[in-house]
Amino acid sequence: MENSMPNQGVKPVDTKQIKEMLNRKKGKMKRYLSHCAHCSLCAESCFLYMEHHKDPQYMPSYKAIHSLGKLYRKRGKVDRKLLTEMKGIVWKNCVLCGRCYCPIGIHIPGMIAFARSILRSQDVYPQLDEVSSESWL
Amino acid sequence: MYDFIRGQLISIAFVIFILGLIFQLIQFFKLTRKKEWVYPPLEIKSEKKSARRWVGFCLASLNGTLWKTDPLMTIMTSVFHVFLIVVPIFLLGHNILLDQSWGLGLWSLPESITDVLTVVVLICVAFFLARRLFLARVRAITTLYDYVILLIALAPFLTGYFAYHQWFNYDTVMTLHILAGELMLITIPFTKLGHMLFFFLYRFLIGNEYSFAKGARAW
Repeated sequence: MENSMPNQGVKPVDTKQIKEMLNRKKGKMKRYLSHCAHCSLCAESCFLYMEHHKDPQYMPSYKAIHSLGKLYRKRGKVDRKLLTEMKGIVWKNCVLCGRCYCPIGIHIPGMIAFARSILRSQDVYPQLDEVSSESWL
Repeated sequence: MYDFIRGQLISIAFVIFILGLIFQLIQFFKLTRKKEWVYPPLEIKSEKKSARRWVGFCLASLNGTLWKTDPLMTIMTSVFHVFLIVVPIFLLGHNILLDQSWGLGLWSLPESITDVLTVVVLICVAFFLARRLFLARVRAITTLYDYVILLIALAPFLTGYFAYHQWFNYDTVMTLHILAGELMLITIPFTKLGHMLFFFLYRFLIGNEYSFAKGARAW
């Protein structure tokens, strides 16, 4: 009985809901994503990037492109595995301190916060009160 | 085809460029609204400063900018963007053509200067390309699309340089030069080159900590 319901308690990803959420802020977010010059000048403004020996994964633009950018590129058609990967990017690699600086004026924290909202709508979020801080990813 | 590129397509490109920018501008104002609360702008005291103090103030302000973290890129990108606009607008050849067609021509820079400035733009593009190829952090977010956009920005200057020095077949190079310029105009409103317009909208009109102005609009 248990084997026939291996994912009991985990609801399937509601791609329709994700698409609706993406469409709601499409005008703003797609412009931000499209106008990012991929210059990487935002890198040094992120303390996590500096603290992690300038690992590109911690660069603000990288985090926005590989979370929200991916959601738009796939038009919301994502699986739980991908959402879980994004969880690490938008929660562990970013603390939303809001200090990232973009020379063009793109508001990167807004993009990461929106990616968090989408992930949260699919029950993908860190549960720090339930698991140890080392294993929440 | 040859005549089309050198004739009608120029008008089509300019119409797409201007209407595209107007469309983007209208969309931007539709998507944003004026808000009651605005991000508090930096308080700059209007006390009179001596020229020396003013220069000191400006230099001190640079400490909080990209000048501090990446001075070489700051110089290259500033120079590139200024000359990207200045060179084609104040180029003698362009202004003669403008005068012949519409009877109006802007003031032109000497050809020897625009020739050097074109090389400066080409050096800047080579620098950006090197960053994309060799800097891990830039490579991490680079796709084929970034190289295509860089090529679109480079092509009018490279072909223009070849045409001025009459390298290769002049007619072919000139047609390619015109085509490259048209392609750039058409792509500006709809690709990431759109930051030409949106830089000003984002940095001056949207309320943000890093706004250059009051930024009274919000999405």
